[in-house]
Amino acid sequence: MKYESQAVAKPYFIAAIGLFLGQILFGLIMGLQYVVGDFLFPAIPFNVARMVHTNLLIVWLLFGFMGAAYYLIPEESERDLFSPKLALAMFWIFLVAGAATILGYLFVPYATLAEMTGNDLLATMGREFLEQPLPTKVGIVIVALAMLFNLSMTVLKGRKTAINLVMLVGLWGLAIFFLFSFYNPGNLVKDKFYWWWVVHLWVEGVWELIMGAMLAFVLIKVTGVDREVIEKWLYVIIAMALITGLIGTGHHYYWIGTPEYWQWWGSVFSALEPIPFFMMTVFAFNMVNRRKREHPNKAAVLWALGTGVMAFLGAGVWGFLHTLAPVNYYTHGTQITAAHGHMAFYGAYVMVVITMISYTMPLMRGREANSPVAQVVEMWSFWLMTIAMVFITLFLTAAGILQVWLQRVSTEPMPFMAAQDQVALFYWMREVAGLIFLVGLLLYIVSFFIKGKAATAT
Amino acid sequence: MWFFILAELLVFGVFFLAYAFARMRNVELFNASQLELDRISGAINTILLISGSYFVVRAVDQIRHDRSRACAHWLIAAMACGGTFLILKLVEFGAKFEAGINMSTNTFFMFYLGLGFFHFMHVILGMVILGAVALKAWKGGYSASNYGGVETGAAYWHMVDLVWIVLFPLIYILN
Amino acid sequence: MTTATFQWLTLVTLTALTFSVAETGLSGSSILIPVLLATLLKGRLVIDRFMALQGVSGPWRWVVLGWLLLVLGLIAYTFLYS
Ligand code: HEM
Ligand code: HEM
Ligand SMILES: [Fe+2]
Repeated sequence: MKYESQAVAKPYFIAAIGLFLGQILFGLIMGLQYVVGDFLFPAIPFNVARMVHTNLLIVWLLFGFMGAAYYLIPEESERDLFSPKLALAMFWIFLVAGAATILGYLFVPYATLAEMTGNDLLATMGREFLEQPLPTKVGIVIVALAMLFNLSMTVLKGRKTAINLVMLVGLWGLAIFFLFSFYNPGNLVKDKFYWWWVVHLWVEGVWELIMGAMLAFVLIKVTGVDREVIEKWLYVIIAMALITGLIGTGHHYYWIGTPEYWQWWGSVFSALEPIPFFMMTVFAFNMVNRRKREHPNKAAVLWALGTGVMAFLGAGVWGFLHTLAPVNYYTHGTQITAAHGHMAFYGAYVMVVITMISYTMPLMRGREANSPVAQVVEMWSFWLMTIAMVFITLFLTAAGILQVWLQRVSTEPMPFMAAQDQVALFYWMREVAGLIFLVGLLLYIVSFFIKGKAATAT
Repeated sequence: MWFFILAELLVFGVFFLAYAFARMRNVELFNASQLELDRISGAINTILLISGSYFVVRAVDQIRHDRSRACAHWLIAAMACGGTFLILKLVEFGAKFEAGINMSTNTFFMFYLGLGFFHFMHVILGMVILGAVALKAWKGGYSASNYGGVETGAAYWHMVDLVWIVLFPLIYILN
Repeated sequence: MTTATFQWLTLVTLTALTFSVAETGLSGSSILIPVLLATLLKGRLVIDRFMALQGVSGPWRWVVLGWLLLVLGLIAYTFLYS
């Protein structure tokens, strides 16, 4: 760590990991509810658990991005953060708001929560991923703006590199597209249309910039490859991501009442979306193969490579699988979508945040890398979580194919719930894989507490 | 830059083929709708883009001989071609909208307007790139030993031209 | 006259030819082949001469020419078999 102020990233990362654990626990609860319908009923109904699961995911990833930004931007700008105090204040505001929101979901009926928090004034709630009450949404905007101010000032006064510019543009985009969550037209078609401007343009647009910048940052550090080479890659990757991702939004406009031409535009552009993800994989491996040093933090290198591969599989391959309109006609909103959503989120954003944590945490704790024992445990957690996620994806895909077949292709289509009964076996297997994922996550947390002689550069 | 150009060619290529295969399933509609296009405007636009490309070639030639100002002049001439192209295209599209035709009219017009608009945006981007190169050339930013930037900008512009060279016969002529 | 000017004239002539073929009102495969050949020639001129890819080592020239051939070839296919 070069600058004192980079240490504000630490509470962000710790909170991120804590919330990650919460997310997985609720995932497991839901996974069980899929097969044991009345599990925990009426204490935690499925819809509440689902909301908690997905919102925790988004919130902890945001914590991760923010922490990463507070670490990366000062280092790239070669100066201290503009205001570490502001960054720390924002951390607490975000954490308290996030916790209050989750507790609200769990202990207050959603309709009451909506009433209590002024949803009558400006109705924004009740839409997947954007369920947060109005005050929370406003809080997110304030926290984001304060962060952007803080980071922009740092960059303005310091060195400007491709990495910190891309990171900053990505974060600005994140904040700007979030504003569409305040727009909730009564017309359901329009509502959905703009809803995707948050959801899709986040994960297949501006978040890719954030991811690219984080990956490039860690790769420079652990491989020692020349900055020029890495920056060139970064530019090409983000250009491709934006060309394909922006109009690629059309792959959500096939059947929601939007004009038919979206079937063409969405199919063609989104079919090319795997390219930037593929390039990211090639990028990571290429840089590691050309490395000029052996960084003692082997675990971080492993996470970086894993990000490349898993993001390509989850977003690129599983995304392509159902992105062409004629295919999506059958798979829309089935377990295939869920399979893709899980692997893409894990492979791209979970893993890139962990890559960053894995690289920076030892530095913030005063060593270049963790002890070999701790790293071995961390690598075990890598393999357990990653393999478990591959299996979750495969089981959900199998369930999805069967579901499509029974419910949509067959000449005598089954009703939804009857088809669900037929695929219960896969849901059981998903739950088992989920438990293994939990074990991996716990090991990951344990790895932070393992002492031992620090590894040194070789 | 070459990577970028290839990516663009890929996008256009996929769209051209989408057009061709969509047409296979609906030949009458495509042929009938095509008759409503303004072929003359399309042909003039082709000449404009070809000439723009030619001017860009001349610009690169000038900078090889270390003539910065002349290079900038040729680039500006190319941009003028691009600008005229844009105006003609707007007139053409305007006439179609006037006639009540839009992207939802039928598949043929979806492609005609959609591809045309997408290419239109590329002409604008190409002009912006040429403009930046011209400005730098004017200020003496390039020389006979250092003109990579001019060549790169030129390559992008030729790509925009190349795409139109395929687009014009495909959408305006062949039936 | 420079070679570039000559190439430009060739391109203009080919465009004029393409246009006049369409004006004759002919249709079908009788115009398909000449028009596509003219397009191929024009594309090649732009790629090899204007983009100056002829003689460049590495895969770029073949990738771009391949693109042109593939697109025109498949267009020919769909027009012939429809
Ligand atoms: C890291 C990047 C990505 C993430 C995190 C992600 C995540 C998701 C999620 C969570 C959904 C479900 C949304 C819902 O609730 O309805 C979804 C849907 C979808 N995604 Fe992605 N995705 C990513 C990249 C991609 C890519 C690159 C493609 C295409 C190549 C793609 C294609 C699709 C399609 C077609 C759907 C709609 C499925 C349906 O109709 O039900 N995604 N994605
Ligand atoms: C222990 C592992 C996990 C289990 C058992 C699990 C289970 C579930 C279940 C049952 C749903 C609800 C699907 C529905 O509405 O029908 C869900 C949704 C979701 N989960 Fe998980 N989850 C797990 C881990 C994760 C992880 C690690 C991520 C992100 C990296 C994640 C991201 C999501 C997303 C984005 C959705 C919404 C998907 C959609 O609508 O398609 N989950 N999960
Ligand atoms: Fe999407």
